[in-house]
Amino acid sequence: MKTAPLASASHNNASDMEERLRRKAQWVRSTVLEMAVKAHSGHISTAYSQTELLVALYYGGLLRFDARNPKWNGRDRFILSKGQGGIGLYPILADLGYFPLSELENFAGVGNLLGVHAEWNIPGIEVITGSLGHGLPIATGMAEAALMNRDEHLIVCFLGDAELFEGSNWEAAIYAGHRGYRNLVCIVDRNGQGVLGPTDPTDRRLAADNPRLNPIDKKFKAFGFETREIDGHSFAEIFEALRDMRSAKRKKPLMIIANTRKGHGASLMEGKRLWHYRVPEGADLELTRRDINEM
Amino acid sequence: MGSTKFILGMRDQFFNELYKLFQEDPHAVFITADNGAPTLDQFARDFPDRFFNVGIAEQQLIGMACGMAFEGKKVYVYAIAPFVSLRCYEQVKLDVCAMNLPIVLIGVGAGYAYDIMGPSHHTVEDVSIMRALPNLKIYSMADGSSAGELAAQVHRDRSPQYIRFDRAGLPEVYAERNIEIGEGLTQLRSGNDLCIITSGVMVHQALTAADLLHQSAGLKVGVIDVFRLKPLNGDALKQHLRNVARVVTLEEHLLAGGLGSLVAEWMIDEDLRMPTMRIGQDDRFVFDYGGRKAIWEKYGLDVGAVVARIAGWMRGESGKAVPVPRQEAHGVPQGTAY
Repeated sequence: MKTAPLASASHNNASDMEERLRRKAQWVRSTVLEMAVKAHSGHISTAYSQTELLVALYYGGLLRFDARNPKWNGRDRFILSKGQGGIGLYPILADLGYFPLSELENFAGVGNLLGVHAEWNIPGIEVITGSLGHGLPIATGMAEAALMNRDEHLIVCFLGDAELFEGSNWEAAIYAGHRGYRNLVCIVDRNGQGVLGPTDPTDRRLAADNPRLNPIDKKFKAFGFETREIDGHSFAEIFEALRDMRSAKRKKPLMIIANTRKGHGASLMEGKRLWHYRVPEGADLELTRRDINEM
Repeated sequence: MGSTKFILGMRDQFFNELYKLFQEDPHAVFITADNGAPTLDQFARDFPDRFFNVGIAEQQLIGMACGMAFEGKKVYVYAIAPFVSLRCYEQVKLDVCAMNLPIVLIGVGAGYAYDIMGPSHHTVEDVSIMRALPNLKIYSMADGSSAGELAAQVHRDRSPQYIRFDRAGLPEVYAERNIEIGEGLTQLRSGNDLCIITSGVMVHQALTAADLLHQSAGLKVGVIDVFRLKPLNGDALKQHLRNVARVVTLEEHLLAGGLGSLVAEWMIDEDLRMPTMRIGQDDRFVFDYGGRKAIWEKYGLDVGAVVARIAGWMRGESGKAVPVPRQEAHGVPQGTAY
C-alpha cells in the first residue's frame, strides 16, 4: 500500500487544511477499495459514507489521541459502533502509526491483525463492535466513569443510521439523556441505507417493507440530547458542528446527525443497496478507481 | 399453598459482605436494572456516586458496565437471574466475556425460586448458556454463609463472573463448616455406594435424600456441592469419586446443558466410566402453580421422588425418569413441531 500524501508544511489557512483533508479522504477511499479488492471482501460503500467524518476527526485536530501510546489515558474514546466500518478506519489508524501500513495489504488474511469488523485487540480500536447497538451503551459507561474519575476526555460514539433500529441504543439514550453526559458526543452516519432498503423510504412500495427512522433529531431531542444536523461530506459543516464539543457550557450529550450518501464518491455504488457488501470487478473496478482519483 | 415465604436470603448475606468491600475500594460500582434487595438500600444511601439504576434495561445494564470496567471500575450488575443472563446474552458474550472485563453478574432467583411466576421468571437454562461463554466463571450457592464468603473472592478476581443466587433464605450448610471458595466444590458427606453431585438449592435435597437412603436401604451416600460450576474443579472431583460405585447428579435446571450435562462431559473427557444417572428437569416449560414444592413433586424433583428413583436404580431398575405427561396448551401439546 502507498502511504497517505504527506501533510503540506504550511496549512495555516482554512482552504489549505480542507485541501489536505480532501486528499486524505481520497487516499482513504482508494486504500479501502484496494484492500477490499485484494480480500474479495469488505463493506466499501459504508466506509465511503463515513470517510469525511473520520478524516476530520483524526486529521482535523478534533480527536485527542497518541498513536504511539494508544492507551494514553488523556485520549478521547472513539467508539466505532458501526463495526462494519472498520475497513474505513484502518487506513487512518495505520497512516497515523497505530500499526504498520503493511497490515492493510493482507486485510482479513491469514495471520493478519485486521478483519471485517472492529476488534478491541487492534491498536486504536477501543471495543469490539460488529454486532450493532453495542457502542452507545458502552459509551455511557465510559462517560459516567470519566466524570467519576474527573477525566477531561470525550467519548465519541460513531453510529450507523440503520443501526439505530437496535433497541439497545434507545435504552442507552434514555440513560444518557437522564444523566446529561456533556462528555458524550455521538455522530450518526446518516447514509439512509440499510441492507434491504432505505432507512426512511419515500416510495410507497419500499415504505411497506422498510421501517421508518425519522424524525431522528426529534427523537434524540426528546431523549435529552442536543442535536445538530449537517452535511457529513462537508468538512466546513463537520468542523462547525463539533467546534464547541469540549465546551464546559454544554449540559447535554451531543448528537450530530450527519447526512451522507452510502458509497459517496463511487458513481456505481452511491445510494445503491446492491453494494452494501460487494466488491467491484473488471470494468466496475476501473470505473470506481477513476471516480476516486477524480474526487 | 402459595409462593415460598420470603426471608433474608443468600443474596443479602453476599451484599452485606460486599458493602464492606465497597467501603474499602473506591473503584467498586454497582448497577441495578431496577431490582432491589433489603440490603441494597445501604449501597444507594452510603455510595450514591457509585450506585446506579438504569431502569429495566438489561442491554444498557451490561453495556454501561463494560464502559465503566474499561475505565478501571470493578462493576457489579444486578437483576433477576433470567434477565441478567438471557435477556442481554449477546452483551454478556461480547461486552463482558470477549473483552474479559472485571464485571460480576448477580442474578437472583435461580431455578424455580420464582415458583409461581411462570417461565418468564424461571431460570432453568442459564447454566447451559452461560457456561458456553469463554472466560466466564459461574457460581451457584447453597446457603447464606457460603454466599457471604464468596464476596471477597469474587471481588479479588478480575475475570468475568456470574453468580446465580436463590431467592428465599435457605437452611445453612456452611454455618459451622469452612468453605474453600477457591476449591470450587465441597464434599459435604462421604459415602462409597453412591455420590450425589449437586448445586444450589438441591444441595439441601441431596443431604436429606442421602439420610433417607441410609435409613431405608443402608446405603452410604456421599454429597458434593459444586458451587463453582465453571471452571469445574476436575482434580478435586476425581479425588472424591475415587472409590465411589455410582454417581447421581441432581439439579433444579434443564438437563440440557446443566450440571449433569457438564459432569457427564467431564467424565467422557477424563475417560471416567461409571454408572451415572442425571436428575433434573426434562425438556419443558412449566406453567404449574402452587409453589416450588408443587413443581418439584410434579416433575420428580422432590426428596421422595429422588430417593425412590435412586433406590430403584440401585436395585437394578432403569435410571430413566418416568415421563410426566405433556401439558396441553391451547390444544397443542408442548414440544409438538408444527
